[in-house]
Amino acid sequence: MAIGDYPAEYNPKVHGPYDPARFYGTPDTPFSQLKLGEVSEWINRRNKSPKAIAGLFSRAYWRWSHKYVQPKRATVAPLIHIVTGSMLFFYVINYGKIVRHRNYKYH
Amino acid sequence: MLSRLALRSEIFRAPLCTSVRCAQTKPAVVSTNESIIVPGFPKPNGQPQPNPFDGPERDLVNFPRPTRLEFPSKTRYLFVPEEWFEFFYKKTGVTGPYVFAAGITTYVLSKEIWVVDHEFPYVLATIGLFYFGWKKFSKPLATYLDKEIDDYEAECNTSRQHELESLKETIESQKKEVWRTEAQKHIFQAKRENIAIQLEAVYRENAIQVYNQVKKRLDYQLELANLKRTVQQRHMVNWIIENVLKSLTNEQEKQSFKRCMVDLQALAAANKA
Repeated sequence: MAIGDYPAEYNPKVHGPYDPARFYGTPDTPFSQLKLGEVSEWINRRNKSPKAIAGLFSRAYWRWSHKYVQPKRATVAPLIHIVTGSMLFFYVINYGKIVRHRNYKYH
Repeated sequence: MLSRLALRSEIFRAPLCTSVRCAQTKPAVVSTNESIIVPGFPKPNGQPQPNPFDGPERDLVNFPRPTRLEFPSKTRYLFVPEEWFEFFYKKTGVTGPYVFAAGITTYVLSKEIWVVDHEFPYVLATIGLFYFGWKKFSKPLATYLDKEIDDYEAECNTSRQHELESLKETIESQKKEVWRTEAQKHIFQAKRENIAIQLEAVYRENAIQVYNQVKKRLDYQLELANLKRTVQQRHMVNWIIENVLKSLTNEQEKQSFKRCMVDLQALAAANKA
């Protein structure tokens, strides 16, 4: 399986046209339905290979895209998401320099 | 770009170089039906292609075909997902998310995690810009874009709609033709009746001709018989008169003349009285 191929679990005969927003593996319990004690076990069960993590981000992007960008009558929301997100991102990566502009010594 | 990457995948890979030499200058036309699997796209050998997604194994319940949404997911304040508010609503009620946001903001400002430096006003400026744009341009821009997208979609559907309409028209005209063909039944019947009437007319004409001919012959016979009888009668009368006259003598004639005169006188006397 090379870069750009479909996930190994994807079978066009069963799953139909490929939807990049969909997880084709065996679904685990959703994170939101977990008890606090089960969280570590759930995280241990996850596939932490770089490919799986890239797939996670890809699916998240496509879910967001299908939800806000692709609809027929899309709004300005995705643009604001990108603007806000980039503001936060650049704030975080520049945090080390911004901290020096603090006005007070004690908080 | 992603679709190009997807073309590298196994199911779209054309087995062009399986049995023929790849050094050929002309593209090889494969004889099997498994070259390019794109539904509706004609194959090199002209055979219709099976849709790889319509097999018997297809699971439409758990994996329905993805459809494009008409409206995006609901948001508040232009960009905050509605789901976040719903998540808070179950635990804290309506004000929960606002209190949470205000609390977080107060915390990060107070601890100077969010430092109020020279770039802080840009945040406010951005918010102001979006607010101004939303107030000023949202309605006309939205109507304009909605109209554009509707027009575009209508344009995309035009050929299909035209084809559907023309097919419908064809069906209607075919139905009309069928209905018109039903009239042929009546026309046939009318023609049959017409022919029957003609036959009847000819029959009657023949019958009247036969009648006339027979009547003519019978009349001739009658005429002939009558003539014969008249001629015979006349002849007999002539002959009898001739013979009677021939047998009459002068004496007899005189006597009868006298007799006549007497009779006439008697008659005149009778009339006078």
